[in-house]
Amino acid sequence: MGRSIATRVSQAGLGVVVRDITRERTDQVKDLLAKDLDREIDRWGLTQAEKKAILARIEFTVDLKETGSCDLVIETIHEDFAAKRALIAELDEVLKPEIPVIINTSTLSISELAQGLRHPQRILGMHFLYPVTTTRVVEVVKGQVTNDDAFESARRFVRILGKVPIQEFESPGFVTTRVVMPLINEAAHVVMEGVASAAEVDLAIKLGYEFRHGPLEWADRVGLHRVLNWLEHLFHETGEAKFRPCPLIRKLVRAGQTGARVGKGFFSYDSERSRLDRLPDDTPKLS
Amino acid sequence: MKVLVLNCGSSSVKFQVIETSLEMIEADTDRTLARGGVEKIGLSDSRLSMDVPGRKPYQEIAEILEHRAAVERVLKVLSHPDHGVLANVAEIEAVGHRMVHGGEKFASSVLVTPEVEAMIEECVVLAPLHNPHNLRGLAAARSLLPNVPHVAVFDTAFHQSMPPKAFVYGLPYELYTRHAIRRYGFHGTSHRFVSIRTAKLLGKPLEDLRIVTCHLGNGCSMAAVDRGQSVDTTMGFTPLEGLLMGTRSGDLDAAILPWVMAMEELTLSQLNAMLNKHSGLYGISGVSSDMREIEAACAAGNRRALLAFEIFCYRIRKYTGAYAAAMGGLDAVTFTGGIGENSPLVRAAALSDMEFLGIQLDEGANRTAPRGKEALISSSRSRTAVAVIPTNEERVIARDTVRVLGGVMPSFSVPGNEAPR
Repeated sequence: MGRSIATRVSQAGLGVVVRDITRERTDQVKDLLAKDLDREIDRWGLTQAEKKAILARIEFTVDLKETGSCDLVIETIHEDFAAKRALIAELDEVLKPEIPVIINTSTLSISELAQGLRHPQRILGMHFLYPVTTTRVVEVVKGQVTNDDAFESARRFVRILGKVPIQEFESPGFVTTRVVMPLINEAAHVVMEGVASAAEVDLAIKLGYEFRHGPLEWADRVGLHRVLNWLEHLFHETGEAKFRPCPLIRKLVRAGQTGARVGKGFFSYDSERSRLDRLPDDTPKLS
Repeated sequence: MKVLVLNCGSSSVKFQVIETSLEMIEADTDRTLARGGVEKIGLSDSRLSMDVPGRKPYQEIAEILEHRAAVERVLKVLSHPDHGVLANVAEIEAVGHRMVHGGEKFASSVLVTPEVEAMIEECVVLAPLHNPHNLRGLAAARSLLPNVPHVAVFDTAFHQSMPPKAFVYGLPYELYTRHAIRRYGFHGTSHRFVSIRTAKLLGKPLEDLRIVTCHLGNGCSMAAVDRGQSVDTTMGFTPLEGLLMGTRSGDLDAAILPWVMAMEELTLSQLNAMLNKHSGLYGISGVSSDMREIEAACAAGNRRALLAFEIFCYRIRKYTGAYAAAMGGLDAVTFTGGIGENSPLVRAAALSDMEFLGIQLDEGANRTAPRGKEALISSSRSRTAVAVIPTNEERVIARDTVRVLGGVMPSFSVPGNEAPR
């Protein structure tokens, strides 16, 4: 996620500092980022010159102090409360008080993460949706003590990225995750009960409601381990049965079949993450 | 009169200071005192560079965050005691602005008033990638130089004389009345300039000539200039239509687009990038978008490069014939732009075996046409003249500024040809 956000920010013409914990990790990120851009060039979405310009605007570092020159900082650790908390506490020491610190999360509480910091008013949430480079929307989430200046800077930043900011107050799952998780969970239940195959379920929803992907392919593409994590968190926070993870999702995750990235989830994928097992009716048609 | 010419892009400002007057235009003696640009606006390492004839190039790196700061910086450098060319900014007597799109509202260059600025603002929807930046530069320059006149010169204005039969597309008519979807054409300042210069070079009145002008550069377009008026041009609603270009497709069957989108599952932005950045000479050859590299690859026997070269020249040839038919005859063909001025191979391939249109190239003159100079490259027996004329869009903008202020050009918009509403 951090890699895609860095790409999008640089694509918008802004300078980016990417910080990771080891030199090996930053080298890996740099390498994967270049590969992402090559894939987009193969899809005619980008040129070699644009790739070069995007890479030129991104610096890589292991030193957190180098974020001191930034006008806005986004943390992108996976959904782990303790790890996120430790990082923003460090950032709180390094950054000037007026610099907004954005927590990239879809489920965690901004206010709880900000508690006890020296400058909790600059902490706010942002939820970038998969795939970051093309999805047009970003949820911008205000915590209990987030001040208006930080919130407005974040909204302006989202506009600079060419995306639409959705203004929200914090609540588990915010808007997009809370609304889409029961859909995925229910689709998995339908498959588990043998009502229809995964391919038929996805095709019905995709064609019936004009979605780009069906819910199960979408879940494969974001990663079933993430979906499971979100569902567990929402279930824990709200106690609502609609968020209790479907056992089929858990079963696939335990088997390591977490989706498109590993080549297998509800469906099978090649190394370019193209889906291999489409039904004959699930092909593009002009009419 | 010293005129500052500004051309503002999304992250750049190009400028020239040109000394000109009605008399100097007539004698073709106007001259550029300085030219340069600011690049990477919005970043901490923006670069300002300036060339002054006879001096070493000047360059500085500084943080320039927006267009106003860029124009302010340009004015400072121009009036700097060591590397400037002006004693002070008050020497600038007028500013000419390049505007990409004037829609159907502007058929000529125009003195900028608040009313005109609002009308240019209304054209933003037609050129969302260009007009907002042009307007930002205009607003910056007007606030920094509030006491001098500002003139807007449009890429589209020259083609406003096209008749409806040339600019209306064969689509449902509501698309024209609702969204102003029609052919506008671009490179208008260049087509106008080189057609006027062609008449001068031939020593004939422009009003007696039917000229096909070929602007072949990064973007390529041709225009049919009938007795001084553009009656048709190859670029359309956007600068994508018409000739093959470095990375743009030019003409194609529009039904290909939904088909490709469906088959390749492309997004609108990928489709747009495919047509504008991955097609043309580059897309066909797989070698380069630069004609010099295409020619080198052709010489080395690269068959796809040769095909790209042939398609490029074939379209010029095809439109030359079409425009001769549109004008009922042909008196001259003029080449300009980076490729048009510097590639004898393209000129020869486009116009060889065209005696039926009265065109006879002088092979020697074509091969040895001097760089940066006007030249006649047709043989003395040729009924139709072929000329190479270096274009200079900044000079046209400076000249239009002087003409508008001198009352030689109408100082307010003259509506072009309109189709029925």
